[in-house]
Amino acid sequence: MADTLLSIQDLSIAYQVGALDVVAVSEASFDVPQGAIVGLVGESGCGKTTMARALTRVIADNARIAAGAMQFAGQDLAAMSEREMNNLRWRDISFIPQSAMNSLDPVYRVEYQILEVLRDRGGMSKQQARARAVELFEMVGIDPGRLRDFPHQFSGGMRQRAAIALALALNPKLVVADEPVTALDVIIQRQILDQLRSLQRDLGLSVIMVTHDISVVAYICDRTVVMYAGKVVENCDTATLLNEPLHPYTMGLKNAFPDLQSAGTGVLTPIAGSPPDLIDPPKGCRFAPRCPFATELCRSTEPPLTEAAADHHVACHRADEAATLREVAQDPATWGTAA
Amino acid sequence: MSTLKPFLIRTLQLMLVLWAVVTILFLMFRLMPGNPLAAYIDPTFTAEQQEALIRQFGLDKPLWQQYFTYLGNLLQGELGYSFRYRTPVAERIMLLLPNTLILTFSSLIVAYTFGILAGAWLAWKRNSRFEAAALPAVLATRAMPEFWLGMVLLAIFSFSLGWFPAGGTRSAGTSYDSLWQLYTSANFLSHLFLPMMTLAIYSQGLPLLLMRSNMLDVMKEDFVTMAKIKGLSPSAVVIRHGARNALLPVMTSFAIAVGYQLQGNVVVESVFSWPGLGRELVNAVAASDYPLAQGAFLMIAIVVITMNLIADLLYTFLDPRISHA
Repeated sequence: MADTLLSIQDLSIAYQVGALDVVAVSEASFDVPQGAIVGLVGESGCGKTTMARALTRVIADNARIAAGAMQFAGQDLAAMSEREMNNLRWRDISFIPQSAMNSLDPVYRVEYQILEVLRDRGGMSKQQARARAVELFEMVGIDPGRLRDFPHQFSGGMRQRAAIALALALNPKLVVADEPVTALDVIIQRQILDQLRSLQRDLGLSVIMVTHDISVVAYICDRTVVMYAGKVVENCDTATLLNEPLHPYTMGLKNAFPDLQSAGTGVLTPIAGSPPDLIDPPKGCRFAPRCPFATELCRSTEPPLTEAAADHHVACHRADEAATLREVAQDPATWGTAA
Repeated sequence: MSTLKPFLIRTLQLMLVLWAVVTILFLMFRLMPGNPLAAYIDPTFTAEQQEALIRQFGLDKPLWQQYFTYLGNLLQGELGYSFRYRTPVAERIMLLLPNTLILTFSSLIVAYTFGILAGAWLAWKRNSRFEAAALPAVLATRAMPEFWLGMVLLAIFSFSLGWFPAGGTRSAGTSYDSLWQLYTSANFLSHLFLPMMTLAIYSQGLPLLLMRSNMLDVMKEDFVTMAKIKGLSPSAVVIRHGARNALLPVMTSFAIAVGYQLQGNVVVESVFSWPGLGRELVNAVAASDYPLAQGAFLMIAIVVITMNLIADLLYTFLDPRISHA
């Protein structure tokens, strides 16, 4: 396996809501290997976006990194001073936002916003920056003639490409992409994912791809981290995750999305219920209330994240029975009774 | 081309509004009780003399005919003769308009410069003790009547401390070769200071509160978050991306505020004996000098309507989403 670029260790992020602490990410651990695309998948509110933003250390005013470390190229991002962190932002870790429309400043031309980063953060001269902006647009497949446009003159797909161009501007080591294709139609989604994939390979980037869509994970990610209610529940390479998931939540997620490989004959089965309230998370396994396989043990004791198979981490008491559970999980009736 | 068409449409709308204002003005003065010439005609005049005068002013004609005469005259820039001064109204208005415009714009520029900076500052100091004290203070300045504030400033800085003159535009007996020399003289500026500050204090609240709430909204926008994630300096984040966007509605409110300020001028010009259009309007109405009052009303309406047009155009200029649609 390649070297590890980023290692997240027991990271907890809490939001202060009134007098309460809501722990949105709880003791999460996973690694991002050099030159890999790692998917971060889960339902809305599972903490994946909070986790992604924590890597830039630009988080909500009421949020704080409560515990843990983010070892990035030998330095702990969580322990850095704001000054050190700001120096590293965008040069080493850049970000592709979900909504490229709102993340481009509407009153400046796209070119200005690219030059701003190249000059302010990359220290380039105006000429160098201009040339680089053209290069970046060509890289992501936008006519450089459109550089002088304002963001609202771009289509949704172009804005997303521009956001990618912006993210690649300073040759970062890590790109954090927060649902980069969620707002786009499937055709454009695929084009952008293909582009991202080829750029990632050419440039040897590491990418964290935050998504709720397991088909995006299947399409592009080398490794996948599944999160549920602020916890990492499963973490392994994507092929293993899709073929031999160990966690019932992953099995359920798989059933809930159309399979890109087969001809779409399968019936989609949702996981009944919704994620727990993080103000008062359930005792034991957080997925237990929705899990068709939950036992007394699951409801009383929280399963630790363990390496159940080689390089395959899972947090489930019944991981050793996973092969049997997978059989049962394929029957929609299993999930129908879970509510 | 695309920028010209909305401009033409706006100008057409402006003409329409102006025509409506002119018509209402015409009817308003005709429908007011009393003979419009009451103040002009001396009681000692004979009936023939009175009738001759009425004929001279065209008041014996039917209303619709008077209306078209009025419109026709307006198109030629003819506003009639003041009953009181017996001079052309247009001449009188052009004499006073610069004073009013100087007072209005200088006070608004002070108010908006202060308001924009303080508003952005207050947004930055959100939830601080400073904010808790500053916001009620700003609201208090918004609530103070201008005439009262004007009198308080007069009492303190003019009558008690003697720092500034109490009224007028210049000391008695002074004269200047040109208007430019007058307006740039220390004499004029010291006369301008108190009325200008009165209007500025009264009107800084609007841009301040607007800027503050816009900043608070804009700073939550995704592009501001992205600017932080890009590692841009805090000043680039706050000024380049925050303030630049928060400024848009404030700039349009400036043009609209000119209209409101002209209302304020009527009061403040009277308090400070500032020879401007507002004070003249009050005097003309009191003296039943209808042509002059009508002319002053019309001039104020023109300034308000023009500033509204400028507000619209300013927005298309400042916001690329409108001009580059």
